[in-house]
Amino acid sequence: MIRNNFIKRSALFTLLLVFLLASLIAGVSIGAVSIPPSEVIRILFSHIPGFDSYLTAGLSPEHETIILTMRSPRVVLVALVGAGLALAGATFQGIFRNPMADPYVIGVSSGAALGAVISILVQSIGHIPFYFATPAFAFVFAVVTILVVYSLARVGGKAPVMTLLLAGIAVSSLLSALVSLCMFFSGNQLHQVVFWLMGGFSGRGWDYIYIFIPYGMVGATVIFIYARELNAMLLGEEPAQHLGVEVERVKRRLLIAAALLTGACVSVSGLIGFVGLVIPHIVRMLFGPDHRTLLPAAALIGAVFLLVADILARVVIAPSELPVGIVTALIGGPFFIYLLRRQKNSMF
Amino acid sequence: MLLNILGVTCGYGASLVLKDASVQINSGDFVGIVGPNGSGKSTLLRTISRILQPFYGKVLLKGEDIYHIPVAEIAKKMAVLTQEPGLDFPFTAKDVVTMGRLPHIKRFARESARDVEAIARAMDLTDTAGLADRQVNELSGGEKQRVLLARALAQEPEILLLDEPTSYLDLNYQIEIMELLARLRREYGLTIVTVLHDLNLASRYCDYLVVVKQGSIHTVGTPRQVITVDTIKEVYGCEVRVEYPDSTGHPYIVFNDEPIGIAEEDGERRVHVVGGGGSGVVLLRNLLSRGWKVSTGVVNVGDSDWQEACRLGISIIEAPPFCSVGVNEIRQNKEMIQRADFIILAGIPFGTGNIKNLECVLEEAEKGSPVIVIDNIDICKRDYTGGKAAELYKCLLRSGVHTVNSEWQAIQLMKGDRENVVQR
Repeated sequence: MIRNNFIKRSALFTLLLVFLLASLIAGVSIGAVSIPPSEVIRILFSHIPGFDSYLTAGLSPEHETIILTMRSPRVVLVALVGAGLALAGATFQGIFRNPMADPYVIGVSSGAALGAVISILVQSIGHIPFYFATPAFAFVFAVVTILVVYSLARVGGKAPVMTLLLAGIAVSSLLSALVSLCMFFSGNQLHQVVFWLMGGFSGRGWDYIYIFIPYGMVGATVIFIYARELNAMLLGEEPAQHLGVEVERVKRRLLIAAALLTGACVSVSGLIGFVGLVIPHIVRMLFGPDHRTLLPAAALIGAVFLLVADILARVVIAPSELPVGIVTALIGGPFFIYLLRRQKNSMF
Repeated sequence: MLLNILGVTCGYGASLVLKDASVQINSGDFVGIVGPNGSGKSTLLRTISRILQPFYGKVLLKGEDIYHIPVAEIAKKMAVLTQEPGLDFPFTAKDVVTMGRLPHIKRFARESARDVEAIARAMDLTDTAGLADRQVNELSGGEKQRVLLARALAQEPEILLLDEPTSYLDLNYQIEIMELLARLRREYGLTIVTVLHDLNLASRYCDYLVVVKQGSIHTVGTPRQVITVDTIKEVYGCEVRVEYPDSTGHPYIVFNDEPIGIAEEDGERRVHVVGGGGSGVVLLRNLLSRGWKVSTGVVNVGDSDWQEACRLGISIIEAPPFCSVGVNEIRQNKEMIQRADFIILAGIPFGTGNIKNLECVLEEAEKGSPVIVIDNIDICKRDYTGGKAAELYKCLLRSGVHTVNSEWQAIQLMKGDRENVVQR
C-alpha cells in the first residue's frame, strides 16, 4: 500500500492520467472503422486554434466526422460515467462504513429503472417520442427515491446508517417489483426496456454530456469538499462529531450529492453494475483509506476501467455491441476475486 | 465554572435514562462518574459531549448552552474518548492522530507548524510515536486506546471526557492511562471527566466522584465522602469494607469475606428450616440474602445442608453424623422453632433417623404455629419408614399448614405476610 509518500503518490497519479489519456485515444481510435491513433491526435489537435494550419493536411473528412460526432462524445461520456459511478460508490461505502455499499445501495438504481421504463412505455403507448424523456425520467426518479428513503429513515432529526440501508432495501424491492410489473406489460417494448436496464453507450452524442455535466459536477464537487469529513466518519459518527464534524448535515449533503451523481450516470447510460462497487476497493488497496486521495484516484481508475470495458463491448462481437454492464462484470469480477485472494486481510 | 449541567433529563426514545441531573465542574477538576451498570453514567457523558440532546435542562460550557455553539468550536474545547474502538480501517496511527487537528485546520489547508507540533506532542505524551506508521486496525486494544487518546490530545482541548478508558486494558495499562490523565491535569491544567467502573481507581485519581444510581445523581463528593460502606450498600446493594491502606488517604474497597447475610438487628424476623440432604441449600441462601434471621435443624454433621449452613454462619441444631435425631436435639430444635416466626419444612426424604423432625413439626403445627410445607415431591416417594412418615405427613397437611410447591413460593408467601400481616 502506498501512503505518506508524496513522490510515489504523485507518480501514481501521473501514471493514471497517462492511462486515462491513452484509453481515451484508444476509445476514439478503435471501432468498426479503425482510425490510427496518430490520425486521431491530429484530428483532435486540428480543432485547437493555432494548430489548424499545419495539421489538417491530408485528413479524411469521414474520419473527422466519425471522431467528432460519434466517438468523441461517446468516449467522453464513458469516462465521465465511469468516474461518477466510482466516486459515488466510494462515497456510499464511506458514509455507510460498509464494503458492500455501491451507488445503487439505497435504491437509486431501482428508482431510475422505474423512471426509464415508465418513460419508454408512455412514449410507445402515446406514440409521442419526447426528446430525452428517458434520461430525464430516470434522473428525476433516482433523486426522488433517495429523498423518500432518507425521509423514511429519519428518526428525530437523525438518519442512522442502518435505518437508511434498511429503508433503501425496502423501497428498492418495492420499486423493482414495479419495474418487473411494467416489463410484464411492456409487450413490444420489452427489448428496449431490457436493453436500457443492461446499460450502454451506443449512439450517445454530445447532448448527453450536456445533461450529465451540471448534476454530475455539482455532485462530484460536494463530495470532494467533504473528503476529510468522510475520513473522520470512517471512525464512527459519534467520534466524527467529537472532531467537530456536523455529522447529520454532512451525511445529508453527501447522500444527495452522491445521488445526483448516480442519477446523472444512470440517466445517460442505464444500469452499469460493478464499477461503483469494485473500483473503490481496488483504489483502497492501492492508496489506503484516506478519501483525499481515494476519491480522485477512484474517479480516474473508474474512468479508465469503463473506457476499457466499453472498447471491449464494441469489438468483441463487432459490428454488434455487447451491453457494457455485462463486460464490466465479466472483467471486473475475476480481477476483484484475484485481489481479494491476494490481499487476504480486511478489505476496508 | 467550566461545565454546568443543569437539571438534565434525557434518554432514548420514550425511555428516560437520566432524570434531573445537575453537576458543576470547575476548570482543572478531575471528576469520576461512577455507579452500577445501566445507571446512566455513560448517558450523562453522552449528554455532556452533545451526542444526546436532553429533553429538559441544558449543559453550559463556559456559561453557553452547548447547542448554541458550533460543533467545530466545541471540538476545540472538548475532546471525547469513547469506549468503542472503531479503528477498523487501515489508517496509520499518525493519520488517526492527525484527524484530531480537524477542528483546527481549515478546509483544503495544509498542516501548519503548530499542528505538526501538537500532533508530535500528543503522540509523545501517549507514547505512540513508535506506532506512527503502523496500521491502526492491526494494533492491540491497549495500543488503539492510546492512539485514540493521542487523537483527543491533538485537539488541544480544555476538557477531556472519557468513557471507561481503562476497560479491556491490562492492569499496567490501566495505571498508565490513569497516571497520564493525572499528569495532563497537573501539567496542562486539563479538566478531566471520566466514567469509571473501578471504584478503587476512581478513589485513587479523582478529586470528585459523581455517583449515579438509577438515572439520578445519588451523591457528589470527594472519594472520602462518597466511598463509604453505606453509600456502596445503597447504590450497589452489596456489603463491602472500606479501608485506608496507605498514607495517601484514599479509601479502598475490600470485598467482604463475611457471609452474605445481613447483620442481626432487633426485631428481625426469624425463620427455622427443617431440611437436610441438600434440600435446604437454595432456601437458606435466599432467605439470608433477603434479610431473614435463619436457623436450621436437626441436621446431621457433614450433611450438605449442614455444610451450607456452616458456610453461611447460620445457627444449626446438629446431630452426630449418621445418627438418629436424639431427645436432646429435639428439645433444642423446639426452642429454635418457638422463637421463629415461620417454620419451613423442605421436601426431604424421611427415614427412621430423622422421622423425629417430622413429628416435631407436626406438634408445632397442631399448636397453631405458622408452618410452610414445601410439597414438591410426593411423600410416598420419599418415605423410607414403611408408611409411618407418610401417615404423619398427611396429618400435617390436614393441620392447617401452608402448602407450597417450591422454595420460591415459600419465600413469596413469607414476604407477603411481612407486608400485610400485623405482629401476631
